[in-house]
Amino acid sequence: MPKHVELDASPQPTLLRALTLLTGLGFLATLYLGLFVAGTDIQQGEIQRIFYIHMPSFFGAFTAFGATVVGGMLYLARKQAAWDRIALAGAEVGLAFALINLLTGAVWARPIWNTWWTWDPRLTSAAVMCLIYAAYLMLRAGIDDSNQKRNFMSVYGIFAFVSVLTTLFIIRIVPETIHPVIVGASPQNAQGSFEATSGVFMALAPSMLLWLTLMPATLIWHRYRLETRREALERLKFQALGD
Amino acid sequence: MMMKLAGLASVLLCLLLISGGAGGSDHDETVPYLRTGGFNVPVLAGWENQSTDEIAQFHLAEHSATIRTAIVALDDPLAASQAELANWIDAGSVSPVYSGKVNLADGTWHVAIFEPDADISVSIMARRVGERTVVISFIERDESNRILMLTMAQEDESQRRAHTELVAATDLLMSPLAGEHGRVSEIKLSSGAWALYPGAGHTRMGMVFGNDSFLALAKGPIGVKLATLADAYFTVLLGFFITPDNSGYLALGLAAAFVTLGLLVFSYFWRARSLDQDAALIRHLARADD
Amino acid sequence: MMTPFLACVLAIIAKDLRAEFRSRELLSVMALFALLSVLVFSFALELDREARAEAVSGVLWVTLIFASLLGLNRSLAQESDQGNLDALLLAPVSRSAIFAGKFAGNALFTGAVGLALLPLMTVLYNINMVAPGVIVTTVVGTVGLCSIGTLLATMTAQTRAREALLPIALLPVALPFLLTAVRATKGALNGAPEWQVWLQLLAGITVIYVVLCLLLYGYVVEE
Repeated sequence: MPKHVELDASPQPTLLRALTLLTGLGFLATLYLGLFVAGTDIQQGEIQRIFYIHMPSFFGAFTAFGATVVGGMLYLARKQAAWDRIALAGAEVGLAFALINLLTGAVWARPIWNTWWTWDPRLTSAAVMCLIYAAYLMLRAGIDDSNQKRNFMSVYGIFAFVSVLTTLFIIRIVPETIHPVIVGASPQNAQGSFEATSGVFMALAPSMLLWLTLMPATLIWHRYRLETRREALERLKFQALGD
Repeated sequence: MMMKLAGLASVLLCLLLISGGAGGSDHDETVPYLRTGGFNVPVLAGWENQSTDEIAQFHLAEHSATIRTAIVALDDPLAASQAELANWIDAGSVSPVYSGKVNLADGTWHVAIFEPDADISVSIMARRVGERTVVISFIERDESNRILMLTMAQEDESQRRAHTELVAATDLLMSPLAGEHGRVSEIKLSSGAWALYPGAGHTRMGMVFGNDSFLALAKGPIGVKLATLADAYFTVLLGFFITPDNSGYLALGLAAAFVTLGLLVFSYFWRARSLDQDAALIRHLARADD
Repeated sequence: MMTPFLACVLAIIAKDLRAEFRSRELLSVMALFALLSVLVFSFALELDREARAEAVSGVLWVTLIFASLLGLNRSLAQESDQGNLDALLLAPVSRSAIFAGKFAGNALFTGAVGLALLPLMTVLYNINMVAPGVIVTTVVGTVGLCSIGTLLATMTAQTRAREALLPIALLPVALPFLLTAVRATKGALNGAPEWQVWLQLLAGITVIYVVLCLLLYGYVVEE
């Protein structure tokens, strides 16, 4: 007879509750800064504010995918299922963030570039990134044996990250992008760049910080707990059915 | 094992460094802009800024000239120009001494020149924006001068100089003063590269931009003054733009971001709920065993 | 000098070649598929000569990727179905050597199909594909593709739904190869000088993937 305690969700640790609250408040605060405090860009109009989500979400995806590759490597080294759960959570959260990045980018491009999508190198590499992690999740769902699954997915997570980096790296070498670079040198033919003034940075810096750290950390932690519980229940279910 | 991982980590790190390497930053100097009344115009350095929340207005006392930009709630450019003119003279409806049309990059501009009195000349360019009209006026009050600004489509688009249009405009507007011009000199101003045609009776300036000639005419040999005023007026005209209204797209983008994030968080709740159901099932099975 | 590593690699290649020589299962399927694919593309794009000339490097690489998927699936499925893989793992050789052997075998077969495609496409599309630049790109690209392909096929061969999983796993990860190889091939055909930059990129990615596969193969055949 399985113990009663393991069946129900364990109570959330205080730190997680605090983190969730902080992330939620931070999200609202950065939204407020981006939508109401930062000035309207005179060239691009209101749509420029989408940038306060667009760019941070890309970096958030990067943090989350980083969790996937680090989790995978540590799983291979230590064989502790916890690292694999972090890797899975990272892939899921990262994919959601990367999708936000793509969607907000497309909505921005429509009024500024007059098209939802173009096969620009930068856009191509972002789309490839989404595809690879979507494949990660599908492949994961297709493997039954849990140890095999963890091994394979750790390896695949490493390759996924390498593909992301090589695609980004290829794109650096091809200067034909029309995507503007806000921080750093902008390519000569960038279309839709805007001057990053102090007001922009005031709204951008907190948003970047939030998406780089708190957002992925909180979401990954919640997803991690969910996976822990799912695995425990799976075991118990087989035990109970086996009895 | 650790060796392998260290090797792996260093490969990843190298890739990260390569893909992250960005060049240094260099920013262009940008012209300061004035935002008011739903539009934007460059700020004229050295001019007194008399703008309000509705209009942009710059005044240069030295040459008793004013450049005013406003959006008028009329959809006829001529009527809108006359409405703007009423700010400067008391008389009722005044007909323009010259009117024309020119297609610039941002749309069709209607050119009108008014000379209601000897001491005032008003050059106006107006463009329809939906139900309203943008009016950019140049007002000059000096009895000893007549200074006019206008834009004409080029007759021969292969010409690099606005000579043909200048002659036409002079014949039309300055005929009593027409005469041979002196040596043509090139001057570079912030609005572009102009050709200055000095003369005893009058001074003329012309610039070609796109397929249009931008012209400034003045009575008398007043080259420097004309250059200052023409540069200021056409800087405002060429620099004028309306911030696009795309808040609908902003709402769409935010909705897309919220829905994606919401779906992720919702899926957490959903999956937690199905785990609760699993737990209930296991409890049921265990009880059935007992 | 014959190290145990090299001996093992050669033994696996020899085994695969012998098996293939007897059954002709792998090459015939891959070659037939490649032929059909090129013909289908040729029919589909026939209307427009310009488009055909532009698309030819894309046709080459799409065909090669799908042909390699077929070959990889079969090659690794044979190993795991007949218990060969387990036997190999019992042998006192390093996992990297097993990988290198299977990888070399797959690269040989896929490379042969790829090189055979070049004269065929020269005839069908009326563009000279048997050029040094195209040949080098085909060889390098095939090697890169087969490295990650062999690793992923080893993974999916051990799962239930392997035929469905290999394309899903391989195609997104192979995109860096596809992007660079198509550009290099197109450049080599047009005589554009930057094709060598693309070839160098392709070679660089290939080296990275081969090294990673050698490092990581042990984990995907672990019990």
